[in-house]
This record gives sequence, C-alpha cells and structure tokens, in this order.
Amino acid sequence: MSLADLHFFKMTREPSLDALCAVVAERHAQGLATILYAGGTDWMVEQEMRAPLHDEPPLVVDIGRMGELRGISLAGDSLRIGAGTTYLELERSAVVQARAPMLVRMAKDVGAVQIQARGTLGGNLATASPAADGVAALAAYDATIVVKSARGERRIAMADLQTGYKKSTRAADEIIVAVELAPPPEGSPWYWRKVGARRAQAISKVALAGVAVVENGTATRFGVGMVSVAPVTARMATTRALVLGKALAEITAEEIDHAVDQDVTPIDDVRSTGEYRSHVARALTRDLLRQLGARV
Amino acid sequence: MVHGSPVEIPRPSVGVSVPRVDGAAKVTGEALYVDDLPKRDGELHGATVRSPVARGVLRGVRLDPAFNWSDVTIVQAADIAVNTVALIVDDQPILAATHVNHVYEPVVLLACADKAKLARAVRAVTLDIEPLPPVFDMEQSLAKVEIIAGEDNVQKRYLITKGRADVKVEPGAVNGESATAIDAAIAACDVVVTGRYFAHHQEQMYIEPQGVVAWWDTDGAHATGSIQCPFYVHKAFTKAFLLDADRIHITQAVTGGGFGGKEEYPSIIALHAALLAQKSGAPVRMIYDRKEDIEATTKRHPCICEITSGCDRDGTLRALSIRMIMDGGAYVTLTPVVLSRGTLHAAGAYRWDDVRIESIAVATNTPPNGAFRGFGAPQTIWAIERHLDAVAKKLGRDPIDLKEQNVLREGDVTSTGQVLRSSVAGAECLEKAVLASDYRAKRARGPVVSGRTARGIGAAVFMHGAGFTGSGERYLKGKVAVDLLAGGRLGIRTASTDIGQGTETVFRQIAADAAGIAVDAVDFAVPSTTTCPDSGPTVASRTVMVVGSIVENAAKQLSARVRAEVEAHGGTFGEATDRLIAREGPITSLLQYAPPSFITWDDTTYKGDAYPCYGWACDVAEVEVDLDTFEVTVVDFWSATDVGKAINPVMCKGQIEGGSLQAIGWAVSEEITWRDGHITNPRMTNYIIPTSLDAPRFQTILVEAPFAMGPGGGAKGIGELPMDGGAPAIAAAVEHAVGVAMGSLPLTPERILAAKQASERTSA
Repeated sequence: MSLADLHFFKMTREPSLDALCAVVAERHAQGLATILYAGGTDWMVEQEMRAPLHDEPPLVVDIGRMGELRGISLAGDSLRIGAGTTYLELERSAVVQARAPMLVRMAKDVGAVQIQARGTLGGNLATASPAADGVAALAAYDATIVVKSARGERRIAMADLQTGYKKSTRAADEIIVAVELAPPPEGSPWYWRKVGARRAQAISKVALAGVAVVENGTATRFGVGMVSVAPVTARMATTRALVLGKALAEITAEEIDHAVDQDVTPIDDVRSTGEYRSHVARALTRDLLRQLGARV
Repeated sequence: MVHGSPVEIPRPSVGVSVPRVDGAAKVTGEALYVDDLPKRDGELHGATVRSPVARGVLRGVRLDPAFNWSDVTIVQAADIAVNTVALIVDDQPILAATHVNHVYEPVVLLACADKAKLARAVRAVTLDIEPLPPVFDMEQSLAKVEIIAGEDNVQKRYLITKGRADVKVEPGAVNGESATAIDAAIAACDVVVTGRYFAHHQEQMYIEPQGVVAWWDTDGAHATGSIQCPFYVHKAFTKAFLLDADRIHITQAVTGGGFGGKEEYPSIIALHAALLAQKSGAPVRMIYDRKEDIEATTKRHPCICEITSGCDRDGTLRALSIRMIMDGGAYVTLTPVVLSRGTLHAAGAYRWDDVRIESIAVATNTPPNGAFRGFGAPQTIWAIERHLDAVAKKLGRDPIDLKEQNVLREGDVTSTGQVLRSSVAGAECLEKAVLASDYRAKRARGPVVSGRTARGIGAAVFMHGAGFTGSGERYLKGKVAVDLLAGGRLGIRTASTDIGQGTETVFRQIAADAAGIAVDAVDFAVPSTTTCPDSGPTVASRTVMVVGSIVENAAKQLSARVRAEVEAHGGTFGEATDRLIAREGPITSLLQYAPPSFITWDDTTYKGDAYPCYGWACDVAEVEVDLDTFEVTVVDFWSATDVGKAINPVMCKGQIEGGSLQAIGWAVSEEITWRDGHITNPRMTNYIIPTSLDAPRFQTILVEAPFAMGPGGGAKGIGELPMDGGAPAIAAAVEHAVGVAMGSLPLTPERILAAKQASERTSA
C-alpha cells in the first residue's frame, strides 16, 4: 500500500494540552473516538489492515509536535520522560544513558531505526499490548504513568495499568502525558534480553527487562517485566518475592523455574509456542539472576 | 548506454564488474514499476473475490442487492471463452466454476474506478459453497483418504534406476521389480542407513508484489506488468481468449524480483485484468497487496524424502533408494517439472553404483505450489546432504571426508547414466571452501562453548543442472534477435527478462565482446512478445548460459559482416555499419539455440544427459546456537561456487550471496503457518525473512571450470545453485554445536528445543 491509498480522515493539531483535553472530552461526550497520532507506527499498520467501510472520516489529532508531551528531565530522584519521546531520543539522551541505561538498550531492539525514530513510549503504553517492549521495561522500573483529561491530572502505577489483553485502567478521555520513574543509583545492574524471530523488525517472542540494587549479596530492589508471556505485561510477582526474600547465592534454579511458572501463562500463537515461551521465560530469568550473583 | 556511468569500461568487458545498467534508474526512483505506470484513460482498479473454503461445491454467487453495482464490472466463470490457465495440464480454471479446491481460489472478479468502493464491493459478494472434506497432508493425499484430484490424487510420477535396480520396467510405470533389486543391493552392503527428511514451503517474497495493467484496442489485447516470462502470459491469452498470436501484446514492466514466483503466476493475474478490461471496455490495473500476494500466489513445494543407502565400511557409497513425495497443491501448474528437477538432484553430487529414486507429486487442497529458485532441487539436496551426514556419523567419520571420497569427478556417471566429461568441479569447490573456512581444524576442535552459546560448523556439497532438463532446449528452440544499428551499435531483442538479476548488463557485456565494441554501444530492448522473439522463459539458470550464447553468436555474426565491409571498403566500424544499412536496409541476426550435439536424453526411461552441464559448489556455515533460547545465528558463510566463467564478478557474487541468504532464511526462520487451509502469517511482519542484520559475513570464492558451449569463455548457470546448500550446511553446523540432528526444516528455536528435549527423553 502506498500513502495514496490511505482512506480519508480529518487531521488537526491543537495548540496546547488543555485544548487537546477539551477536544477529546467533547467528542468523548458525543460517543466519538479521537485518534491521537504520535509516531503512527501502530496506526499506519492498522489503516492498511482495515477495509475502508465507513464514510465518516475519523478525527486524527497530530500530537507529534506538542511540547507538553516532550522532554526528558531529572528532578531529585525522579526521571520524567515525556510521552511523545521516541525510542531514538531515549537512545540519544545523556540522562537516560546515565540513569536508566536499560531503557536505552531496550529502545535499540524496537523494530529497526525507522520505527525507533517514529515510535514513542506513550504510544507503546497507549496500545497496552503484552508484546510491547517499552511497557515491560517501564514495569521493571516500576514507573508511574501521568495521564490528563479535562477532569484533571492523575498518576497510575505500572502495576495498576493493564487489566487484560490490550485493556487498561486509563479512561478513554485520558491522555498519556509522561512517565516518571525512580532510577536506581548509577551503575546499578540491569538486564534486557529480547528473543525475536530475527535481529530487527521482530515482535518479541519473549523479552525480559530487569533492574536491581544489590547490597551484600541480597537484592534490595528488584523489578522485572516480561513480554509476550501473559495477556498483560508480566510483572512476575512470585519471582520478585523470591528474589527479594533471600541472598542471591542461595536461590536455586528449581526455585526460579517454579516461581517463573507461577508468573507466566504463555500461549501458542503465530510467533511462537507456549512451550518454547515457558522454557525461554525460565532460561532468561535464570540468566538475569546468574548475572546478579545467583549460582544457577 | 550505461546510464550516467563515469566509469571507463575496459575491453574486453567480460570478467569486469561493469556497473549495472539499470542501477541508477532504480536507485533514483526513475524506473517505472507496474504500479508507477501512468494511469490510462478511464482506467479501473481490479479486485478478486476468493474462496474462504478449502474444498467444496460452488452453488452460487450472491451479490448484495443493497449495494449499488451500477459502476462495478463483474466477471464470473461463465464470461470466459475458455476457462483454463494454459500450462502443462489444463486442470486449473481461470475462475472457479463448479468447485473450489483451495482457500483463496479466485471465483469472481470486480472492477471499479473508485478503489475504496471496490474494496466494499468485494465484501458485498457472498460465495455459496457447500464444503467437502479437504486434504492438507501429502501422505494422506497419497493414501487416498479423499479423492480430490483425478483418479488417485497423483499429479506426476518418475522413476530413476541405475545399476542393479535398472531392471526392465514399463515406461512410466513404477515397477516393483526395481524396488526388490535395490533392496537386495542395499542388503548386500556393509553399512546401511535409513532416514526421513522434510523440507517446507517457502514464499518468494520478491520486494514488488504481483501486478498487471491490461487493456484492449484495435490491435487486440495488451498486458504489461511484473512478469518473468512474457511468452507464458502470451500462451495463456491465446488459449483463454481464442486470439491469434499477433493480437496479443505482453510487455514486461520494470520488475522488482521474481525468484520463480513470477514465472507462471502472472498468467493468472494478467488473464484476470484482461477479462475485466474486456468486459468493462476500460483499462484495468490489478496490483496485489502483500497479504493477497502471499496468500494467493505459488510457493516452494514441500517435500518428504525417505532414503535408505548402503556403503562399504571404508565409506564408498554403493546403493541408494529414495522414495519422495512432493505437495503440488490444488492444481498441477509446473509441478511435473519441479518434481523432475527434484528427482534428478536427489542422489546429490555423488557416485552411486545402484540407484532407485521413485518420486510422486500429489494434490492437496492448498494453493498450487510452483516455481521457486532451485525448482525442487533444494528440497532433495537438503535430504541427501542430511542423509550423508548421518552415514558419516555411523561410520565415525567427518561428513566432509565421506563427501570428498564420493563426490562426482570427471568421467564419473550420474544416477541417470550421464557421463560427466568436462567442467566438473565438485572436488575443487570442496577443497577451496574447506580451506578458506578452516573447517577441518574447527571440526576437530569440537563445538566451542563460550558463556551461553555454542559454536559449530557444517558443510554441504552440491551440484545444480544448468538449463532445461534433458531435451527441453531442443523443444524450446529459444531465439534472440540482434539488430545492427546506425553508427555501429547493436540492439538486443530477447524475451529474457531482467528481474533484478542483471541480465541487461551481462547480455550487453557478452554482445559487446563478441562484436569487439564498447558495452555502451549495445542496447537492450524492453522484453515484449510483439517486438522480441521467444527466447524461452527466464528460468532454470538458463538465461546467461543458453540465451547468452545465442546473443554471443548473433553479435559475432553481425560484427563479422561489418568487419568484412571494413576490409573491403575501409572506414571505421560505425561507418561500415552505416554503409551496410544504407545498401541493404535493416540488418538483423535472428538466431535459434543449438543445443550441444552430444546430449542424449530419453524422457520415457529418464536416462541420459539430464543437463548439458552442472554448476558445482561447497557451502560452509559457521553458526552460534544460544544454549538458553536455541536461536541460531549464522556467523560466517563460505561458498566456493563454480560458475564456469564469471561474466560480471560483482553481480555473480551478488547472486551467490543473495541466494545463500534466501537459503539461510528458508533454513532458520521462514515458515508458512496454516489453519484450515488459511495462511496465518501472510505478512512481512510474521513471515520472517532475514534482514541485513541477520546476514552472516559472506566469503564467496568464484571457481571457474568453463563449459565449452557457454558464452564469454564458458559461463554456466548460477541463478539457482546458491539456494541449494545453505540449509544442509546450517543443519550440520547446528548438529556440530548442540548435538541435535535435525531432519526437518525449518530450524526454528522452537523445533530445535523440541528435538533436543525428545532426544534427551530417548537417551534417558
């Protein structure tokens, strides 16, 4: 499909986040959806797959240039990343490189450089897919999502965001503004491993994101997020509890495998099999903990 | 001229990597692919309504009465003069009339000026189909669980016998006596090994999907598009529209890859567009999107090979029995020829005293499988190479030693009884690839485990017949016209298409050297059935070797005339040319291919010279297998490939590296997945071809064992050979790395894990 084949739609920009909230609220009240267009990397694909059955053109608002959704800043112990930040911007940000290097590593595995230049962290959160690499990375950092609507601003913890396959607690009129996370001390260990069907342009079969703070052989902070092993991004509660509960050197492979099996419910689909995903989920978790000091 | 080329091209140009003539236009976007061609007056878009059912009786077609059909052209089977796609067997309708035999089978054609409305119109058609039980599995088809095609579901059979298996058989029949004889020959051997090997579908995944623009005028029917073989389309039009040959005009547009996928399929899309154009009276453009292209068009044939072989304790190969089945899909299309090439390559590049190869192609209710680079040979070479790896294991030897010991050499006799008289380079390729890759030292060291990865190395040795099988070229009578043009230029007119492989450039080099003129003094006409003679199809690794030799002879003939004129009356080459044209009018050399006189071939017994010559190669793959995830990374890939003579070394290496990468994709990641006859991954996002990041370091060694009849000093076919060795070399490397012998493709991490777990269960 070429761009010329795109179906008709109305595209606008809004001067400010408040103006955007007003437009979304007004349409929402009328039962109309508003498409927020940032990088378009999901939306463009959906257009190709969608037959042009409706005569009513949808409203698409280009938020790619909205200043209030952009920018990366560190204030005290909080790293704030605008929802409109692209993967390439993450990769190139000195503060992210220093304080949240796992995000940089993750970003390099998303699609390929073209997608990294267009796709945004906010877009990844908006689709709320369990296959989203960025969401797993944010889950590992136990990030918080800042959303805004005409009703005001609120924060959603990553743990409370996803409720089911591509379903979230974010209301239809709420716009993702930024993510906030408390970065571990500089130099803390982190882990990112993506298993896809090829080295680029691949949606994860499984991916594991992890961050930790280790003191005297014990993890005092441990966050993980796993991709494509459950209807939602897997936060691995059992595994987290296991790791935070005892000295890393005392954790056995059997305990890890058992915990992971509690935490994931992978399925067969077009990209892989449930059996393979279970195996990889265990193997990557062992690999992560091995790097932290577990003797497995 | 060589477009914008600042490079001074030396003479002679053969052996020099002349820049691609078509390169600049393609890089700058100037080249017009079919979807870029200017819109014709009143042009409509065409679309296809396809069966959602794998097998059934077509009871009727319902058009939604609520839809406004006034500006939509509708074509059904009843509108077609002769509802048959002309190919080998006339079993495939242009549109399903009474039955559907695979999902995606075309049933109704629609055309409309408004593309969005056309998409809605497709959804406003309901096909009333009474389902019948489908057959998706080739062994179930062979077992006649359901009769879905002909009397017994069999599309074609071959039998090759040699040595003790060569008992008298009825022509064409599969005779039990030869089976008894080969079993006895194998039983007499010291070491007997049996194995079963499976090769899977593969999608060609050319960058440009299929597309055609068709229209009618006072000259008859016209079609232009992404076409590998314009005369195939011409033949299809002759049959379907009952038109005289000179009323049909098929022209190639710039074509973005084919790999066989645009050999026979374009006949169907061109017929569809022309039917809509005929009924509507308007030009019709049909361009498939990627999904429709993957779903509806042909793929590589899946193939099962059951092999039993016997050898001496010292490794001398003695007796070989192969029973192979190919899945032809719902209609015959090119299956008999694919099965033939697969059968002829099944014994590999090795000497055997006694051979029996029984091959059968059966129908299934899946879209017809068709031409794809290698044409059946990669499937059977996969099997025999994996089998010899298993034989070597049983003998306790390295596979490469066994292969070196038994590889065909000059004077040896193939499974069809062909004596290899010259241009036999298997041993040389093996030696060079083994040396370059340091294979023996790496094998001796064993797998290198570092952290959580294991590294292994493996090799495949193979040959690929160049040109048409047996007497094919004799029937084809391929022709080329070369025109003598003002100023001493030459113009090549051929139906051989450049679909990305470099034909335009290489033909210019061959003609220029033959005539003793500069490469940029040679023109290449757009291939068209109206202006070019039928050179035979652009397939079978025959373009450079066969058609190129006609080009060479025609250019020599014209040049001789001009040089005689120079001798007689003086002046330059250009001046003498102008005098000749002034005196005699247009001067053209129209030549027909003269197959080598030594070739003898019997189609009934499948004995004789299967191919005029063979390209030879040895591929070595070094892989890293992740011990946690079983992902296979091909790190290095060496290929020593005998091309006879490299006309253009850079493009020649490009063919080898591109073909090898296509083989790597087939081996490790590409897989068509099915549900109830539907393809569940018809997209580039989930049918996984390798990216440039997945490509290994290629180290390609050109070996030149010239073929006396080849152009430019001995060029042989190169198009398909590089597809043959990648998969078995990688599988051998994986086996070396992690000890799992995979007999089924593809080598996805999921399958390697399952095989490893199964082998651990067995050994436990």
